[in-house]
Amino acid sequence: MQPITITLDGREVSGYPGMTILELAKESGIDIPTLCHDPQLTSVGACRVCLVEDERNGALLASCVAPIASGMVINTHSPRVMERRKTIVKLMLASHPDSCLVCDKGNRCQLRQIASDLGIGLVELQRIPQMASIEEVNPFLERDLSKCILCAKCIRACQELVVEGAIDYFQRGFTTIPATLNNLPLENSECTFCGTCVALCPTGALMEKDRTYGGTTKSMTETTCPFCGCGCSICLEIKDNQVVRVIPGKEDSVNHGALCVRGSYGCDFVNSPDRLTKPLVKRDNTFEEVSWEEALEQAATGFKRIKDKRGSDGLAVLGSSKCTNEDNYVLQRFARCVLGTNNIDNGSRLYNSATRTGLGYSIGFPCTTNYLGALGQSEIIIVIGANPDSSAPVVGYAIKRAVKYKSAKLVLIDPRQTKLSSFACLWLRPNVGTDVALLNTLAKVIVDEALLDEEYVARKTDDFEALTKALERYSLEYAEAITGVPAEDIRSVARLYGKATQPAIVYGTGITQQRGGTDSVRAIANLALLTGHIERGGIYALQRENNGQGACDMGVLPDFLPGYQNVADAQTRTKFQERWKVDLPADPGLSAMEMLERAKSGKINGLYIVGENPCLSFPHSGLITKALASLDFLVVQDMFLTETAKLANVVLPAASFAEKDGTFTNFEGRVNRVRKAIEPMGESLPDWEIVARLADKMGCPLPFSSLQDVMSEIEELVPSYEAYSDYERQDELAYGETGRTYGRQLLKGFARFSPIEYTPQAGERKSGYPFTLLTGTTLYHFGTGSRSSRSLRLKKFSPQSFVEIGETDARKLGVSHGDKVSVISRVSKLATSARIIDGLPEGTLFMPISFAEAPVNELFDIALDSETKAPLMKACSVKVEKIPLP
Amino acid sequence: MDKEEITGELDLAQINAIVSEYSQHKWALIPLLQKIQSELGYIPPQSIPLIARSLGLFPSQVQGVISFYTQLYTQPRGRKIVRVCRGTACHVRGGKTILKLVKQHLGLEEGETSPDLEYTLETVACIGVCALAPNIVVGDHVHGHMNPKKAEQLFRNREGRG
Ligand code: SF4
Ligand code: SF4
Ligand code: SF4
Ligand code: FES
Ligand code: FES
Repeated sequence: MQPITITLDGREVSGYPGMTILELAKESGIDIPTLCHDPQLTSVGACRVCLVEDERNGALLASCVAPIASGMVINTHSPRVMERRKTIVKLMLASHPDSCLVCDKGNRCQLRQIASDLGIGLVELQRIPQMASIEEVNPFLERDLSKCILCAKCIRACQELVVEGAIDYFQRGFTTIPATLNNLPLENSECTFCGTCVALCPTGALMEKDRTYGGTTKSMTETTCPFCGCGCSICLEIKDNQVVRVIPGKEDSVNHGALCVRGSYGCDFVNSPDRLTKPLVKRDNTFEEVSWEEALEQAATGFKRIKDKRGSDGLAVLGSSKCTNEDNYVLQRFARCVLGTNNIDNGSRLYNSATRTGLGYSIGFPCTTNYLGALGQSEIIIVIGANPDSSAPVVGYAIKRAVKYKSAKLVLIDPRQTKLSSFACLWLRPNVGTDVALLNTLAKVIVDEALLDEEYVARKTDDFEALTKALERYSLEYAEAITGVPAEDIRSVARLYGKATQPAIVYGTGITQQRGGTDSVRAIANLALLTGHIERGGIYALQRENNGQGACDMGVLPDFLPGYQNVADAQTRTKFQERWKVDLPADPGLSAMEMLERAKSGKINGLYIVGENPCLSFPHSGLITKALASLDFLVVQDMFLTETAKLANVVLPAASFAEKDGTFTNFEGRVNRVRKAIEPMGESLPDWEIVARLADKMGCPLPFSSLQDVMSEIEELVPSYEAYSDYERQDELAYGETGRTYGRQLLKGFARFSPIEYTPQAGERKSGYPFTLLTGTTLYHFGTGSRSSRSLRLKKFSPQSFVEIGETDARKLGVSHGDKVSVISRVSKLATSARIIDGLPEGTLFMPISFAEAPVNELFDIALDSETKAPLMKACSVKVEKIPLP
Repeated sequence: MDKEEITGELDLAQINAIVSEYSQHKWALIPLLQKIQSELGYIPPQSIPLIARSLGLFPSQVQGVISFYTQLYTQPRGRKIVRVCRGTACHVRGGKTILKLVKQHLGLEEGETSPDLEYTLETVACIGVCALAPNIVVGDHVHGHMNPKKAEQLFRNREGRG
């Protein structure tokens, strides 16, 4: 491309064709004020504040939309430009309300900033009165449209970044406002309260509501969202050691300047009065606050006693998919080197092990194969068993963006109606538990119609014959009979996927938590391998929690040392033994569920739980509680006195993500920085430090006196984390292919097909329990809710548990919206209220996890997936009874 | 179910038919809206989500377009549109009073339609026959040199039914 040279404020500068004057000015260090422009959004040239003049013909141009043309002589600050700019801003101020003086946006308001930069004092124009604000009951954001300058940033943010389209211009002329459909309050619209528009609004027209703490921010810290596996970059605004506000972080990150409601409004759990500020020790069944010294002494003595009496096998450790990589690394070293056991696992066992085992087997590494931004290049996106709009919102945004603005075609495979349904070109609703049959049939069509990439298959894969043989019985008719999906649709999807050049598959817990989840994951991998698409569009394996990926990478697993190095392999063990200078236990340890089972039968006597709440997160919570209560000794390390912590002998107060440094690894395998923004609450400490102190107390100090020590060891011992702590380098990396731990190339260079058989789950629906209950997250809550229920605004917005019932079923049951009902399974029952919706197939119910008052996991019997040892929690048979009004 | 809901349902079936003719072409929005309006006399708000879905737009976008164009309506319109001129010439000759009287006679405010769908009241800036000021237009018919008496005669039959 030929560079274009223009004169900018008297200097010759050059840029490339298509560049706007604003972009070139920015590059040349010239500051032009803007109100309606944002690099993440399409430019509309609505506010005219950015105008500049072309000296040759006197034309005034909006620099944010005007492209550079050779020979231009542009003045950005000439007297004429300044005069015009002032007038424009004055006109805006003239229609601004008096409440501007007390506006909470105050010093952050860009309109006021620009006005003061321009030296505007009194506005001599006649004031134009504006309409009053809109009544909203939601606790997240409020609109005072009398302060709206019609820059349309909110509209574009909602349409282009979040792809919700909740608001657009309404009316024309003086009465124009950004409005929802029928101009209703936001809570009655499509709005998901992601806060993206609030962060972008230049004035006080959109503001966050119900803040617990006011005042002007004193400092800002870039860090990573602690909720889901997307790993959004967020910016914490701090005053007086309190998180005052959260806004989207770096533009150049997975989230592209957007967030979801949890990231924007859920982080106030950090300042919750429920935070543990001192160590607790239980005496006579009540907790007493004690010093760290004493608490650690108690914990160390307890573990030592069991180790001496029962040996290391009587002990176990449960790590956390919410803690940092460094916390987890130190924890696994503690388990292996100090306690001397491989009985260590983490909470992601519940939803992630199918991916680990399935993808690990098929392609050699257990992680998403491509980065999220690449979804925009996929012409076909298949979403199966995932509801990213609530479980991984930023992935949801990316999918919707691809469909809406890049003309990608979405194939949705989900029995439930989700927000993505209306974006799908094909929506397949297979019977629950029949994914393998569907996926195998897709593979068969691809083989039969020769849509496979023969060269790739020959060069890079094993076991192709075994696969084709196993696929023989999966005819379209057979699949239709099992899955209930029309044969025609199955064929269409296979063709779409087979013929596309860079199609992607996205899956989530709807796959991994089902019975046979590992098989489904392998069947998905088969599809991507057959077509060679694994190296192009790839597979996106969603992670539920912020560091589910990292906890596993760090070896918080019973069978793997850090970096998935097999603990049973003598050579590997020797390597670690030499490095750590201890003897390592040779046998793989117990998985999370197994630990708890053995606790009940008295074979595990001491347990150390860090940042997990199995009493709510694990199935059949009644049994889990019993198991934990029967332990000799339980130490729980958490931010809150959770249901699990209440059972502990010693409770150690942990610092929150905002109070420590470290890293999280997101679902893409990208290592994101966590930065300390405030001092830890009370006496709480970062998890890794507590673990290290405990090791000291037990007389086996670990060689970590600073976070950097931990990081250096990770870099040395965990493949693909080399040089990850070099933040300078990382911060320079543009968001994209780079910066992830796993590249798109397969690590081992070859991959394996897995012949998978569909096994019908006959008799699954026990007689008398006619409904299949599906579970999942909701957008407004997270995990078991130990954090989100302590976020005031999230709690206020969606405080009650519910069960979703399809219209037809509701009619048959005689249940209407809001009725109290009992949901009863073979092992337990709970009371909740009914929500009637029209997107569920008959015989299917949905309930969110995350509500302590209705712990859904209670309903599930403990059934372990034979291969992954993960408890199966996604579906269970239940019946529903209406609770008569008293 | 009252009568209005029945009309609502009938409309939707008809709208669906029209919408499917135009589906999946974003550029088809304006012609589609015009077609619906010409067949139903207005664009029922309940139809906005349908229209949006079929064209791959957001409902709020469709609403935005409808509200931008003054010739698109989301309310049913009367069989006779009464336009009272508020241009300068008519104003000078008492247009304001005429408007007040017409409002009284019809029992309607500007932009409103009578429940029996007989009349919609609107104002216009100037209809180009200033010589006859003050003017009102009923349907296609211009009534010039309006005065209170004539206004009363025009709408006498409406008295008390507004
Ligand atoms: S509400 Fe804010 S972002 Fe939206 S148009 Fe008005 S000023 Fe711009
Ligand atoms: S909060 Fe999010 S979803 Fe709601 S209007 Fe703003 S951008 Fe749209
Ligand atoms: S999408 Fe996930 S990571 Fe991003 S803000 Fe929401 S909860 Fe946080
Ligand atoms: S910033 Fe260029 S017109 Fe608003
Ligand atoms: S002002 Fe009324 S017709 Fe011209």
